[in-house]
Amino acid sequence: MKNSDAEIRKNKKKVKEYRYSVFMLVMGVIFLIPAIGVFLTSFRTDTEISKHGIWALSGNLTVDNYLHMWSSSGTRIYMRNSFLVAVPATLFSVILGSLSGFVLAKLKPKGTGVLTLFFVSGLFVPPQILLIPLFQLFNKIHLYDTLWPMIIVHTGYGVSLCTLVMKNFFRHVPDALLEAALVDGASEPRLFAQIVLPLSRPAIGALATLQFTFIWNDFLYPLILARSESAQTVMVGILNMAGQYSTAYGAQAALSIIASVPTILVFFLFQKQFITGLTTGAVKG
Amino acid sequence: MVGPTLYSFYFSLTDWNLLKSNHHFIGLDNFRALFVDSDFWQAFTNTAIWTVIGLFASLIIGFALALLLSRTRIWGRAIKSMFFLPLALSLVVVGFIWFWIYRFDFGLLDKVLRGVGLGFLAKDWLANSSTALIAVIVAWAWQQISLSMIIFLAGLTSVSAELIEASQMDGAKWKSQIRHVVIPSIGPAISVVISLALINSLKTFDIIYVMTQGGPYGTTRTLSVLSYREAFRSYNFGYSSAVAVVLFILTVIIIGGFMRLAKWGGLNEE
Repeated sequence: MKNSDAEIRKNKKKVKEYRYSVFMLVMGVIFLIPAIGVFLTSFRTDTEISKHGIWALSGNLTVDNYLHMWSSSGTRIYMRNSFLVAVPATLFSVILGSLSGFVLAKLKPKGTGVLTLFFVSGLFVPPQILLIPLFQLFNKIHLYDTLWPMIIVHTGYGVSLCTLVMKNFFRHVPDALLEAALVDGASEPRLFAQIVLPLSRPAIGALATLQFTFIWNDFLYPLILARSESAQTVMVGILNMAGQYSTAYGAQAALSIIASVPTILVFFLFQKQFITGLTTGAVKG
Repeated sequence: MVGPTLYSFYFSLTDWNLLKSNHHFIGLDNFRALFVDSDFWQAFTNTAIWTVIGLFASLIIGFALALLLSRTRIWGRAIKSMFFLPLALSLVVVGFIWFWIYRFDFGLLDKVLRGVGLGFLAKDWLANSSTALIAVIVAWAWQQISLSMIIFLAGLTSVSAELIEASQMDGAKWKSQIRHVVIPSIGPAISVVISLALINSLKTFDIIYVMTQGGPYGTTRTLSVLSYREAFRSYNFGYSSAVAVVLFILTVIIIGGFMRLAKWGGLNEE
C-alpha cells in the first residue's frame, strides 16, 4: 500500500517535470524564432519568398541558395581569411597567455601587481580609442589591408583575457607539486611543458573555443584595417555581399548561415568548454 | 595597448584631419566643441539609454530565465543549448536576423501585429526615428541576455540544493526564498553580469552599423558610432579621438565606480 503510494507520488512528480520541460521547450523555440526564420528562408527560392513573404512556412525547400553562395569566389575567400586570422590569433593568444599567466601566478616576479593591472586594463579599454592609432601604425609599416593587423590585434587583445584566466587557474595548482618536480631536477621550461600544461588542458580548451568565437565574429577591426576583398574576413564580407544581393533574401540568409557554421560547430562540439570559458573568463563579451 | 591609448589622448588635443597636410596642437578646443555639439549630446543620450536598458534586461530577464532553466531536469541540456545559441552568432548575423523581423510589411513583427488585429501599429521599425533605437537595443539584448543567463546559471548551480530545501522546510515562499537565499549567494555572478552589461553597452558598434548605420537622423548613433563616423567618414581624427577619450573616461568611471561599490557593499546585501 505504502509502496504504491510512493510510486504514485513519484509518477506525479515525473509528469510535472515533463510538463515543465515541454513548457521550457516551447519557450526555447519562441526565443529562437528569429534564428529559425533565417534558417528556413535560406532554403527557399526568391520567387517563393516574394510570393508568400519571408515568414511563410509553405513551399518547396531547396539548397540552391547555398550552392549559389558557395560558388561565389568572395564567400570562399572571406571564409579562408577568417580562418587564417582566427586560428593563429587563437593559438598565439592562448600560448602567450598561458606563459604569462604562469609567470604571474607562480614565479611572481617583482611588479606582479602592476603587470596584472596592465593585463586587466586590456579588458576594459574600449576598442574605439585604439582605432586611429592602430590604423596609423599599420599604414606606416605597410601592413594595412593584409591579414596581419587582425592577427596582431586579436592576439594582443586575447593575451589580456588568457593571462588573467590562466593566472587564476594556475593559482590553484599546488606549489608542492611543482617543487617536487624542481627537486627532481626538472628545469622551469620543462616543468611548464610536462607538468603544468597537461594539467591545464581544460582551461586551455575553454579559452581556445571562446577566443576562436570572439575573433571569428569580430567586425570592427577588419572594417578598419582591411579594404580589399582579398584581405577581408567573413563578417565584413557578408555585409558587402548583402549589399549586392539586397533583394535576394534567400541568398542573404544562406550567406549568414554559412558565415556562422564554424562558430555554431564549435558551440555544439565544445559546448562544455565554451560555457566554462564564458563563466570563468568573465569580463569580456 | 597602453601606447595607442596615450596616442589617442594626444590626438584628441589636435586639429588633425586626414585631408589636411599637417596638424596642430589646439589644447582642449576639441572638447570645447564637443560639449556644444548637439550630435555629441544625442549620441551621449543614446548611449545612456542603451546602457540602462541593457543593464536591466541582463539582470532581470537573464536572471528569470536562468532560474527557470535551473529547474529543468528532463532534456535539460538540449533546452539550455537553445537558450545559449545566440552566443555563437556574431552581432553582424544577429543584426541581419532582426532586420528581417523589423522590416515593413515583410517583417514578422508587422505580420504578427496584423494577425492579432493591431495592424495600425505596423511600421518600418528601423526607419522610424521613435522606434529605431529600442528596436536595435532589443536585437542586441537578445544575445546579451544569453550571456547573463549563462553566468547566472553557473552561479545558481553553486547554490546548494540543501540550502533551498531547508528554507522550503521553514515554509518560505518562493519569493522570499529568492530574496533571502538565492540572491545573497550569487553575489559574484551579479557583479559579473553588471560589469559585462556596462562594458558591452558602452562599446556596442557592430549591430548598429549593420542595422541602421546610426540613422534615422542619428537616433541610433551612440558614442562609439559617432567616433567611428568622425574618423573614417569625415576623417576628423582629432575630433574622433576626443569622442573616444570621452568614451574611455566614461568606461573607467563607470566600471571603476561600480567595482568600488561592489567591494564596499560586498554586493551580498541585495
